[in-house]
Amino acid sequence: MKDIVELQIWQFALIYLLLILVIIIMKKCRINQTKLLIMASVKMTVQLVLSGFILTYIFEHPHPLFVVAYLVIMLSFSIHRVISTNKGLNRKFKIVIGASMTFSGLFVLVFFICAVVGENIFNPQYVIPISGMIIGNTMTGVSLGVKTFRESLEGQKAKINALLCFGAKPEKILFPFVKQSLETAMLPTINSMIGMGIVSLPGMMTGQILSGTLPTTAILYQIAIMIAICTVVTAASFGSLYFGYKTLYNHKTQII
Amino acid sequence: MDIFYSEKGLTFENFIKYPKISIEENSFTFITGKSGCGKSSYLKMLNFTALPSDGKIYFCGKDLTELSPIDYRRQVMLAPQQVFLTEGNIRDNFDFYYGMREKEPLSNVEIAEALKVCCADFPLTADCSLLSGGERQRVFLSIFVSCMPKVLLLDEPTAALDEKTSNELFTSLKKYCREHSITVVCVCHNLELAEKYGDSIIRLGE
Repeated sequence: MKDIVELQIWQFALIYLLLILVIIIMKKCRINQTKLLIMASVKMTVQLVLSGFILTYIFEHPHPLFVVAYLVIMLSFSIHRVISTNKGLNRKFKIVIGASMTFSGLFVLVFFICAVVGENIFNPQYVIPISGMIIGNTMTGVSLGVKTFRESLEGQKAKINALLCFGAKPEKILFPFVKQSLETAMLPTINSMIGMGIVSLPGMMTGQILSGTLPTTAILYQIAIMIAICTVVTAASFGSLYFGYKTLYNHKTQII
Repeated sequence: MDIFYSEKGLTFENFIKYPKISIEENSFTFITGKSGCGKSSYLKMLNFTALPSDGKIYFCGKDLTELSPIDYRRQVMLAPQQVFLTEGNIRDNFDFYYGMREKEPLSNVEIAEALKVCCADFPLTADCSLLSGGERQRVFLSIFVSCMPKVLLLDEPTAALDEKTSNELFTSLKKYCREHSITVVCVCHNLELAEKYGDSIIRLGE
């Protein structure tokens, strides 16, 4: 198989021309988000260029400390995103979310790299892209689960109050909400597994094939990463919700 | 004998202060007063779903906060003002509430009796989403009555009822609770009803 065609800068710049088409459509439909589009494109370009340089440097000078730092930054950013998109959580709930995401993320990552791939956990070429996929998906899943949980509690105040006054235990009242939100968090990942290979060739597999990996190897990686993502989304959402909902009532079983 | 007792100075959220209150066992007691004077909050404190910020409530002479909240709440039940019924018919609703308390479901005869006490003589297969506001309120109430608690706390049980139905409900409820030694504490803004059916009236906010 041939190696990937190196992109020339002037050739690469052609891709930005496509954005003109997007802007024309936006103008035509009076969607006043041109600024946002330009800002998003610029931000994406700058961030990716920077991370390209950083990754190049890390790959040339591999050191465990770089990998650890990268993981810490990625995890903190994703935890921060989940918490800042879910306002009004109590302090303990936030800690539970952070701990669940960290533990499930690291566990699945270590299992994937060390047991399945059989590489060193500090090998940046494997750890950085794979942890990116794992942690990114954890963020989306947990965020969705916690959002659903919060909103359904908010919408069902009358139910919760009536059951509490009736003498039902708080855990009995709240657990159905945990179950429903966990399901909501898991479903997108499971659904994307169904269409995989038919509707879409997933990003990681496409990338590997483009860079010259045999498709048979690429699919093994893809299957492995999908199962890893499914696991980490489930585990992190479960941890966040299952231990998080217990912070919503006190020892006198008042729901707060 | 007093079933509930609290000294003057009982406070809710550092804001609402209550006078000395005592409620006699097996009585039908009304609580009246302007909105915002703390009637509902008082019922919540009696139900142990809210705690006073200052002062203590005694239940049969014991400090309420030393009792197990869930066991206590199953003896001293509060039917809140905001009705909640789940999807399905009346039978489904009884089963839902009983399931939430891990209680065996009631027989059809028992449900029918509770419905009758609350003037809600509807077939058990009636779809609750098709009932009117007042009908739903009575079905909701009958679920609480059917548990035969020691104390029943009612928050505006006649809010959605006309005068005739309100009278029927209180007549029937009072008779039933007397026969089964159930103490009732009822928040009601209608002073006329309170004077007609109350063994005693507590006026708050005066």
